Amino acid sequence: MQSSASAVVYTVPQDSFTRGSHQIMTCMSSEPKVQSKTCFSFPFKMGVGSSGLVNDIGPEHFPPNERYFGLVNFGNTCYCNSVLQALYFCKPFREKILGYKSQPKKKETLLSCLADLFNHINTQKKKTGVIAPKKFVAKLKKENDLFDNYLQQDAHEFLIYLLNTVADLLQAEKPTDKGTLKGKPGTPNGKLNGNNNESKPEPTWVHDIFQGTLTNETRCLCCEGVSTRDEDFLDLSVDVEQNTSITHCLREFSNTETLSHEYKYYCENCCSKQEAQKRMQVKKLPQILALHLKRFKYAEQYHRYTKLSYRVVFPLELRLLNTSDGAESSDKLYDLVAVVVHSGSGPNRGHYITIVKSHGFWLLFDDDIVEKIEVSAIEDFYGTATDVQRSSESGYILFYQTRDV
Amino acid sequence: MAASEGGGREEVKQQFTTREGGYTLMRLSEYSRPTRLTYNSQNHLPVKVSFISINDNTGCNDKIFFNVGRELYFYPYKGVRKAADLTKPSDKRTYKGSTLPTCHDFNQLTASPKGVSLIVGFSAGQVQLIDPVGRENSKIFNEERQIEKSKVTTLRWVPGTEHMFLVAHVSGSMYQYNEELEPVATAPFYQVLKQGEDYAVLTCKSKVPRNPVQRWVIGEGALYEFAFSNDTKYIATASHDGFMRVFHYDTMEKYGSMKSYFGGLLCVCWSPDDRYIVVGGEDDFVTVWSFHEKRVVARGRGHNSWVNVVSFDPYTTDVLPPNMDVYASDDDITHDSNHRDRSFSSYSRTSVHSGTGDGPPALSYRFGSVGQDTQLCLWDFSEDQILNFQPNRTRTSTQLSQSAQCNNVPHGKEASSLHPDGTQTLSNRPTDKSKEKSKKDSISRTPRQQYLSKIHETIMCMGSKAIGTTLCPKLDDVFRLEPLITKKIAYDRLTTLIFREECIVTGCQEGIINTWARPGKVGMSQHAAASGTVV
Ligand SMILES: [Zn+2]
Repeated sequence: MQSSASAVVYTVPQDSFTRGSHQIMTCMSSEPKVQSKTCFSFPFKMGVGSSGLVNDIGPEHFPPNERYFGLVNFGNTCYCNSVLQALYFCKPFREKILGYKSQPKKKETLLSCLADLFNHINTQKKKTGVIAPKKFVAKLKKENDLFDNYLQQDAHEFLIYLLNTVADLLQAEKPTDKGTLKGKPGTPNGKLNGNNNESKPEPTWVHDIFQGTLTNETRCLCCEGVSTRDEDFLDLSVDVEQNTSITHCLREFSNTETLSHEYKYYCENCCSKQEAQKRMQVKKLPQILALHLKRFKYAEQYHRYTKLSYRVVFPLELRLLNTSDGAESSDKLYDLVAVVVHSGSGPNRGHYITIVKSHGFWLLFDDDIVEKIEVSAIEDFYGTATDVQRSSESGYILFYQTRDV
Repeated sequence: MAASEGGGREEVKQQFTTREGGYTLMRLSEYSRPTRLTYNSQNHLPVKVSFISINDNTGCNDKIFFNVGRELYFYPYKGVRKAADLTKPSDKRTYKGSTLPTCHDFNQLTASPKGVSLIVGFSAGQVQLIDPVGRENSKIFNEERQIEKSKVTTLRWVPGTEHMFLVAHVSGSMYQYNEELEPVATAPFYQVLKQGEDYAVLTCKSKVPRNPVQRWVIGEGALYEFAFSNDTKYIATASHDGFMRVFHYDTMEKYGSMKSYFGGLLCVCWSPDDRYIVVGGEDDFVTVWSFHEKRVVARGRGHNSWVNVVSFDPYTTDVLPPNMDVYASDDDITHDSNHRDRSFSSYSRTSVHSGTGDGPPALSYRFGSVGQDTQLCLWDFSEDQILNFQPNRTRTSTQLSQSAQCNNVPHGKEASSLHPDGTQTLSNRPTDKSKEKSKKDSISRTPRQQYLSKIHETIMCMGSKAIGTTLCPKLDDVFRLEPLITKKIAYDRLTTLIFREECIVTGCQEGIINTWARPGKVGMSQHAAASGTVV
């Protein structure tokens, strides 16, 4: 099932661009000698047109058969645009969607609209530009009331809705099995049907790409009996803490927690509620690991969600440390391929952008604007290190893809 | 867990205890900007500290130098005694414009009361030589940025030399400069001096000697830190590509390497006897590499984020006395004063600065690490622990010859003639065996592009194949170090850790530099203040 992702590898010349004044300017006193030019900050908001992007990359380095197109914002649809761009640059997903497009025409669904959109981008004559995802957004609003308005939505909710919907549509289109499938779109954390053996629908390529398995181990503190239960996931939602790494957040996710008081666990063996210890570890590692940072937290005192802008660093290369003992190829190496970034103060306000890795360099998609960024600029998206309130651009959904050895 | 709520507001520690005794924050010894600014986004560059000792009859030979944002400060350093008057720095410089100081280093060899040589690296790639003591005229290297445009990450004087220094950059290049050579305004042309599979050493094509004297191109992506061995023969580098590489400095041969568990390596240091190298990085681990065995021998997990600085404590790296297996009592000094006294008396700081590495090996090593998690960790390990470690599985690490595995990547057949700088043509093109100098410029990008592409593929391949080998053993296959202490000691990322004879110096990105008195070294003037606030 592995798609051949890396045909040509380009490397960006290491020299950065000369912008602004870089003269060393000392002054022993406070006398303003030379007008100090402001240091450019990432992301470059220089209004570079699409031809600017070609120049930034260098026409001779522009990957053949690759298109970098911005997406028009129809009024707070950046949650949608950002996720679509991230998925477009998850190569295995893109290839499957384009493959779907090439199949005989079916009735219009969210999946067919997505396939049309990806195909539209992929078949553009020009290498860069802007596309209006009109049909897709219209279909999305028609299919789901949640998105049928002009409010900012949660990009993570949209991602999970989209993946589940695509999976459901694929299952429904399978000629062999009939009627037995009931996906549950919008289930928190994208947990599909749990583990109810017989009724478990046949996996689709969405599952092949994104689905992993958690094993949930509960040990009764009374009888010491251990019960395990497996759960599938399409992404992992992790709590965030100030000045930590994604590795730490994953470790906390899998830390042993004690179930006591009102959260006691019903032990089959003891036939009663007992204190227990529980931990969840990754048993099957997905091909693409989507990590959702739980930055939106309900604040009782304000009766609304607030944002945790904590600085959570994420490396370009990752291995999981929270795997279960029997996990297969538990030390597989992941590469960061896309990050959906949220800026602003809450889930229903602010703005979403996406950075993606394509052919060895990094691009920033901000609705209709596409820019090349230096790899060192990624640190601007970790969040803020001190608690002083500042609007921050912080990583919200990370996409890590298995490196093919 | 208490830690999950508002991590930033969590109390920072003012003291901690290890088996040799209690360390105390000397709050009156704090160095910072004279006027504390509120947090400002300009502080995105790490705060680094350099020390120098000059016998200048001021009653305070030690001097401290640090950068914060746009500024450089130079003060007398009074150690565990009260800090100098911060409103009266011996020297202060402010940099306007968009290039800011990132790091600095004193030449310890040439320092005198008349003047010192301090090199300062900048975010746009330049290097300035200044003298904060004698106020000699300063010199700027790479002023026009024709040698290098990317940020300086580390710079150091080449040990034992008066005029040579090395500068590492985010681009992955490292330059050797000779400060005696006149600045040249033209861009350099390079020729290959030495080339390996994942690095190259170049020198300028020039009739007269010019700067840079050498250019090392190492791995892929940023070169964050390098460190000379104590015997000055070897240099170890830590890179964004996740590799630590050791080179014989004079012959430029690669001696050995290792790979992080994942992600970039940010820092590297040598044990006082040069038998071990410790690295830290984006996998949140500290990793110990044996110089003689050329393999990863231990990993330690204590940090909750990336490790910014690792450093051995030469004053506590020592011979382990018999039946002393007592480990740190985790928190404050409140209990167990007997044990503290005993351990302290048997743990005076016997310096093991053996220098040449010929002396008897230290039996126990102490190193520290600070990270982006605002924590300080201290670690102890002994050679015995490492030698006696048996992986609990039967499977053993396979020794893998890295070069054999990764040579047949695409472009491999052209590798021999590919120039890191793209200034040579491909010699194995059938049609042009003769060198076409005139066409050099027009085709120069292609070989460079191919070179970078080859390096990229080689390193990706080496990186993926390293797991399960001595370069990067599986988690259960190496000794697992546990931290002696793990303490949150700041509100912002820690960027400095220096072990001195009477204290530990830490610094954070906010620009606050702290002094922690070693056991029994609390300055009399501060003793009352410090002991009054024990929590
Ligand atoms: Zn039970």
